[in-house]
Amino acid sequence: MVSGVAVASAAGANAAVIRAGSTSLLCVLIAVPLVLLLLLSVTRHWSYPGLWPDALQWSQWRVMLSGDRGLLDALVSSLLIAVIVAVGATTAGFLTSQRIAGHRRRGVLLMLALLPFAISPVVLGVTLNYGFIRLQLAASLWGVILAQFLFAYAYAVLLLSGFWNTRIAALSELAESIGADRFQIWWRVRLPLAAGLLGVSLFQTFLISWFDFALARLIGAGRVQTLPLLVFDYFGSGDFRLAAACGVLLVGLPLAAVLLNRRLLAWPLTAASSRV
Amino acid sequence: MNGAQTLDAWLKVQAIRKRFGARPLFDKVSFEVARGQTLAVIGASGSGKTTLLRILAGLDRDHQGRIFIDDRDVTSLPARQRQALYLYQEPLLFPHLNVFENIAFGLRLRRLPKTQVREQVEQVLGEIELQGLDARKPESLSGGQRQRVAFGRALVVQPALLLLDEPFGSLDPETRAAMQELFGRVASQHRITSVFVTHDLKEALRVGDQFGLIADGRLRNYIDRAAFCADPDSGVQRELRFWEALRVEAIGSGAKPTP
Repeated sequence: MVSGVAVASAAGANAAVIRAGSTSLLCVLIAVPLVLLLLLSVTRHWSYPGLWPDALQWSQWRVMLSGDRGLLDALVSSLLIAVIVAVGATTAGFLTSQRIAGHRRRGVLLMLALLPFAISPVVLGVTLNYGFIRLQLAASLWGVILAQFLFAYAYAVLLLSGFWNTRIAALSELAESIGADRFQIWWRVRLPLAAGLLGVSLFQTFLISWFDFALARLIGAGRVQTLPLLVFDYFGSGDFRLAAACGVLLVGLPLAAVLLNRRLLAWPLTAASSRV
Repeated sequence: MNGAQTLDAWLKVQAIRKRFGARPLFDKVSFEVARGQTLAVIGASGSGKTTLLRILAGLDRDHQGRIFIDDRDVTSLPARQRQALYLYQEPLLFPHLNVFENIAFGLRLRRLPKTQVREQVEQVLGEIELQGLDARKPESLSGGQRQRVAFGRALVVQPALLLLDEPFGSLDPETRAAMQELFGRVASQHRITSVFVTHDLKEALRVGDQFGLIADGRLRNYIDRAAFCADPDSGVQRELRFWEALRVEAIGSGAKPTP
């Protein structure tokens, strides 16, 4: 009996160690690149094999924030594109996913929504570029928005299709039975119930656009400058410190949004547990 | 007995036909319900009880036949214009709203003044015996309380017709009996006309003024309890024989009821 208890407590201790170890590993894997990026952005000289930079400086941040190197324009473009893509894709995705949920060929349509992810963005960008040149959308802000929208929209459809279950259908019917018209069903039932998931969709589709490089490069053709393109340009010209400073801005904005609103990450988990 | 006629019919259903693909579900189902009366409908699983209610509510309009509520032909009207409120088997509440707002839902749709909404909701809260729980969220309520809220939400909009789809099926026997009593009291007080679907014979006899039996695509209509009990197909005779046999057996074994 005693040995049984001892074995159980040893197994419990092992499980705790494994849990703590895997959590620490996860934190390190996430934190190390971020810390390194931040450090690089303020480094003046870092010689091998030193674990810490020899000297720090803020000059790359001053250069960046002065707006002389096109950062402000790229930031505004990136924000504008990402906001339009996120709002457009989430709105269209929500409406489309509702239609798909009631469709008899639901499985096939959801498979189609997966297609953009089965094709490489570069391949799709090259293909789109041909069509966009014909439509005079190449090398324009709207061309980049439309190209990114295709990916973000497909993603939003896949994410939001999980919302349309039998319970939502029953609640919608119930509201109609009480006297709600179509608008009232959307406004008073569906939208409030989907608010959390819509927030997640807005955030995720914003990220798809915010971090996109291939489509912005191919469709924008150098005329549309975004933050990821700027980071790559700085890096390509050997100015890795400025690239790092720009990278901090690129990563920092969505990170701040997540920290300010943790529900953006937590919602899918809580929703999954509440459905059980 | 099919298509029995009553005076002062509030709900008139005429020759409803419904098919699911090639399979016929209803063939010329007709019945009437007098104002303020409850038609209790029983039937086996899959006999079409829920579909009948959905047709009456306007949630399923793919059928033939006509439906009149208070002499108004509602056959082609969408659900929102019928004033026929459908109560689900599960106490379906809006999870994002508290008890007060769940009950007030129909009044908010009708854009009534705030003071009127408060007055009416508080009155209903009293009738369904849920005073003091108005700020609670649905997930913190028991099954019986949730069903009361669903009932209150229906009551507050004074529907022309109330359609109840085995509403107390998921409740324990004690709560179920209390809800049947509450329904009977409030329905009679507000003169609510209703169709109450159940597979529980005892529940049908408790809540019904008129009775219906769905079988083989038809609805047999019984004008009162006596007619319903007299029909061997209603199951009442079988039930009585069962309890009678049990009683005789208990007497034969000399068992005495505990006080």
